[in-house]
Amino acid sequence: MILLGIETSCDETAAAVVVDGRKILSSVVSSQIEVHHRYGGVVPELASRKHLEAIVPVVDEAIRKAGVGLKQLDAVAVTRGPGLVGALLIGFSFAKAYAFTLDIPWVGVNHLEGHINSVFLEPDPPRFPFVALLASGGHTSVYHVTSHTKMEVMGQTRDDAAGEAFDKVAKMLGLGYPGGGIIGRLAEKGNPGNVLFPRIYLDKSEFDFSFSGLKTAVNRYIQTHQESCQEQIADIAAGFQEAVVDVLSYKIIRAAMEKNCRDIAIVGGVAANKRLREKVRQDAKDKGIAVHIPSFDLCGDNAAMIAAVGYHSLKEGSVSDMDADVYSRAL
Amino acid sequence: MEPSQTIIAHSLEETHLLGKKIGEAIPPGTVIALTGDLGSGKTAFVQGLARGLDVPAGYYITSPTYTLINEYPGRCPLFHIDLYRLEEDDFEEIGLFELLHGEGVTAIEWADRLHKDILAEHIAMDFEILDDESRKICISEHGKARFLSGRIAILK
Repeated sequence: MILLGIETSCDETAAAVVVDGRKILSSVVSSQIEVHHRYGGVVPELASRKHLEAIVPVVDEAIRKAGVGLKQLDAVAVTRGPGLVGALLIGFSFAKAYAFTLDIPWVGVNHLEGHINSVFLEPDPPRFPFVALLASGGHTSVYHVTSHTKMEVMGQTRDDAAGEAFDKVAKMLGLGYPGGGIIGRLAEKGNPGNVLFPRIYLDKSEFDFSFSGLKTAVNRYIQTHQESCQEQIADIAAGFQEAVVDVLSYKIIRAAMEKNCRDIAIVGGVAANKRLREKVRQDAKDKGIAVHIPSFDLCGDNAAMIAAVGYHSLKEGSVSDMDADVYSRAL
Repeated sequence: MEPSQTIIAHSLEETHLLGKKIGEAIPPGTVIALTGDLGSGKTAFVQGLARGLDVPAGYYITSPTYTLINEYPGRCPLFHIDLYRLEEDDFEEIGLFELLHGEGVTAIEWADRLHKDILAEHIAMDFEILDDESRKICISEHGKARFLSGRIAILK
């Protein structure tokens, strides 16, 4: 079954062609392709207008790269939520019309379930049930996943998302915004033991997170060490990163043990952080737990993951109709 | 001169409490413009505001920096908005101007990115970091808004 996936929930306009929720024929993300140079060469912004400009060239590029004819598409999967309503509507309306024109089924899916399914696009996927950490700019949650489309939230952030904390610390250090990736690279040159920041576990037996206090602690450190701050910048980045990674790794491994799961998935933009990948693998190894992390391209927002979860939704009999609508937020 | 008042919140809890009391005092349609540095307590204030507006405790009031607009059900809807990542051109596209004239309470972080004239009637709150725990919060009411006049004293 060949699916076209479409994703426009936040910053990225993305389209992908995926076979059976497993094999990627193409995956196009607007910020990564040349088409955007026409709009000034900048990373696309959040505005729905940008999605509107990008959606046709991005979908065309995905179809072309996949090397399939439109008649070979069996269905369309599209992100229904959560996200910004104006942005979601661009992809959603487009997908509806596309499927209607081709006379094939289409299905609206949950963006977060898409991220969880990104690990199934890699060889050696996890076995059900497993626990997943979804960490990105907008989300930080732990899930107990029992099927491709059934998952329960075990905990989530009470304030800032982990990726947001990275980006805001980058901004405080004068590294630009967003700069989460820069922190990771800078931290490699620093010693995490030189500047210690608090690990905020909240209740150690629960799976909620809080990163706001850590962000404020870094800000205070910078303000009270203004003279030495530039010399210490790599140590500050490393110290901050280690504080985030320690908490994320602790909670996801504890979640796996509580649910008796032998597999862990780490997904979302923060899953691209090298130190997090390394630390969770190291901590999990001692407990005999297998760790599954998608390749870098599949960590951030993409449409291949949407096609993957869409395939499983269709197999379970979910099909959207013309009256279906987007949603901004799930509780 | 618009009436204004400065309050010192000595802890995160006091920032929450201030938000809660203001949430209890304001009518639907109120716009609150929040300014202040990263980590100065803007989101913490909105967490308290949500409780004052009877948003159920099951909802975590999380940062809208990435998600841009978070909506919560309460006594009236609460829209928590963050302009940090936005350019002026984007404001209309996220539907900001409709929310400002809607039935909900709208709390806007990084409101200094908006042109001053856009917000007619509103409560302005500026947050300043004094030390690890304490924040100086300056509250003023603009336009015809006078929901807090005479009550700011009890907020202390």
